[in-house]
Amino acid sequence: MLLALAQWLAQDVRFFSVFNYITLRTVLAAMTALFISFMVGPTMIRKLAAYKIGQSVRSDGPQTHLVKAGTPTMGGALILTSIAITTLLWGDLHNHYVWVVLLTTLGFGAIGWVDDYRKVVHRNPKGLSARSKMAWQSAIALVVGIYLWDAASLPANTELIVPFLKFFVFPLSAFMFVALTYFVVVGTSNAVNLTDGLDGLAIMPTVMVSGALAIFAYVAGNAVFSKYLGIPYIPGAGELAVFCGAIAGAGLAFLWFNAYPAEVFMGDVGALALGAALGTVAVIVRQELVLFIMGGVFVVEAVSVMIQVASFKLTGKRVFRMAPLHHHYELKGWKETQVVVRFWIITMLLVLLGLATLKLR
Amino acid sequence: MNVESQMKKRTTQALGETHVSAANVMATPNASVRFWIITMLLVLLGLATLKLR
Repeated sequence: MLLALAQWLAQDVRFFSVFNYITLRTVLAAMTALFISFMVGPTMIRKLAAYKIGQSVRSDGPQTHLVKAGTPTMGGALILTSIAITTLLWGDLHNHYVWVVLLTTLGFGAIGWVDDYRKVVHRNPKGLSARSKMAWQSAIALVVGIYLWDAASLPANTELIVPFLKFFVFPLSAFMFVALTYFVVVGTSNAVNLTDGLDGLAIMPTVMVSGALAIFAYVAGNAVFSKYLGIPYIPGAGELAVFCGAIAGAGLAFLWFNAYPAEVFMGDVGALALGAALGTVAVIVRQELVLFIMGGVFVVEAVSVMIQVASFKLTGKRVFRMAPLHHHYELKGWKETQVVVRFWIITMLLVLLGLATLKLR
Repeated sequence: MNVESQMKKRTTQALGETHVSAANVMATPNASVRFWIITMLLVLLGLATLKLR
């Protein structure tokens, strides 16, 4: 909206042309999202506490987590509100990628909202059944995949790019593209949700990965930079940098309240939506495999759950002391803050490795 | 006052405001992370000067 206003004002006052720059709008989006979250956050936390919208803690989890019971949850609604307002303010609303990513994020947020609402407000411990949750997630991801395939105007829009290998580019068929989109969006969404088990553990890697994806989106949307770096040019993808900036800003502000000891948890409404947002951006900028690298912590957390379940069903034995992986390390004696900060450090290194693929190919 | 609390008080006095806020208002990890966030924002602001001039 503000971009349209600036473009209209620029007809008379040249200064307003500065808002056409994606880099400036990305920084402004991050600042705006940060500001909104800081302003609304304390009131929202008080309201959540007043309405007794508190987290229930799994009884079979680490004993140290029992004190967290009752901490306000569904704080992800704060993140999503900030992201949505900021994107509508600073994004180019004529860009269809902006709408795809925004609607996907809000769609997954709605699934998480229903799940959280049933658990917390209706005191239904099961929330939304796993089958319903997966069905809704699948429906949205498939619609996204089909739409992006249908809207693709260049071969680069649907090719699979292999990091570090310049000449390994695989054209995907419609089925393969939609299947890949499905797995990336649904997989990332659930992986972030599984990671969201310790204070600040999920949000900081989300901020770091979204920051890196903003760079990928900017480069992919710029004909000169994409040619220089040898990555596919995706016209219009640069606008996603603004969206990623909003995620980073809203996420950092949320971390302010979510740092140990957390005043609020994001809940499924935040975790499912943020994961889906990262997955969708990665699909559009054709960096699914780089997301796999940069989101390594999310991947490992999800894989630890799969291994644990498979091992227990097949052999009756557990591979980890507890899954997801962060609980394993807690039970090994690491303090919660140690697990969190060490996982952040690992993500920082993985994000650097991911960014290195821009040049090293 | 035992030795441990004396040491804590002296450390707090020596190190100043940061540890005063950590000791009195918020938990240490909370204070640390909030100072990191502020630093991140300041670094971003510094980097923005590359472009915004």
